[in-house]
Amino acid sequence: MNMEDDLLKQARALYKDRLRIALSAMLIVFTTTCYVFYNLALRGTDVPDGSVGGSTQGFQAAVSFNTIGFTISILLMALVFRFWSWAFLPGPAAIFTLGVLEGILGPKVTIEQVIGKRFNVTLENGMQFEVSCRTRNRGTDEWFSYRLVTSPLEGNGLREVALRHGFALKNDRFVATVSSDELHQRTFLLTKAMMVASSTI
Amino acid sequence: MENNTESASVYELIQLMSSLNDTRRSILNALAHIYPRSVSGVQLSRLIGYSGKSRSLYRGVIAHLTELEMIQIDQLTPKLYAIRINNEHPLLSVLVSLCRIHGEQSRNLYLKALEEE
Repeated sequence: MNMEDDLLKQARALYKDRLRIALSAMLIVFTTTCYVFYNLALRGTDVPDGSVGGSTQGFQAAVSFNTIGFTISILLMALVFRFWSWAFLPGPAAIFTLGVLEGILGPKVTIEQVIGKRFNVTLENGMQFEVSCRTRNRGTDEWFSYRLVTSPLEGNGLREVALRHGFALKNDRFVATVSSDELHQRTFLLTKAMMVASSTI
Repeated sequence: MENNTESASVYELIQLMSSLNDTRRSILNALAHIYPRSVSGVQLSRLIGYSGKSRSLYRGVIAHLTELEMIQIDQLTPKLYAIRINNEHPLLSVLVSLCRIHGEQSRNLYLKALEEE
């Protein structure tokens, strides 16, 4: 347990560092490009002397084709970063998650790591559930919470089964949001609940 | 037979409670003891010794517990909520009745803590 907590601590630090590095890199790129580009653009505009004022020159540079490209590239960088943080868990957190899932479910289950911080788990009997990780829950101080969602189930009294194992029933799926220290126990109860549900068909 | 289903429920209740983390467990514990009374978010965070902001308690833990139908929230005014345990929940009703039968002293402690503001 201690080691796992360390992993999450590492992951959290990594995530924050990553954010900081990305932000500062973007800031540096932005300022240097701004400086180089507008300096050259202003100096490089070949305008007949006296015909236009400085403000018009500046305006010409600002609406030039290059500016549009520049804005697009900045947006693209932001987009790439956004995608990156949506798609990938910090390494230690992925190790933690895989470790916990494999630990409680045994070596025979298949766990597939999917882009978007998700893990698809297939049990020996073919039942499936998805574990998706949220790095940070907005408005709370929770780090690394997980959303457990099973594949659609059939059976009688599913709701009762779900509630008795600490899950909610939504669209015939068992769902719950669990914290990282609950992941182990609640995955365990989830698989048990799925077994119970399948035996009521 | 009757006894057997009862102990099965108690077993499941223990399993359920031990799968929850500290904060959620102490919320259910406190609310089960004081049932049918309800508390406000601030009272609850004091009752369970929660150090963070009660706003983050709302958006995280309490929202999750509500989704699981473990607790019920009544909005009294835009800013005031009444939180209580859901006695309709198949296992928490067991917990509530256990607390009623055996938890007299603990309930008094909880209620005293609530009075003192």
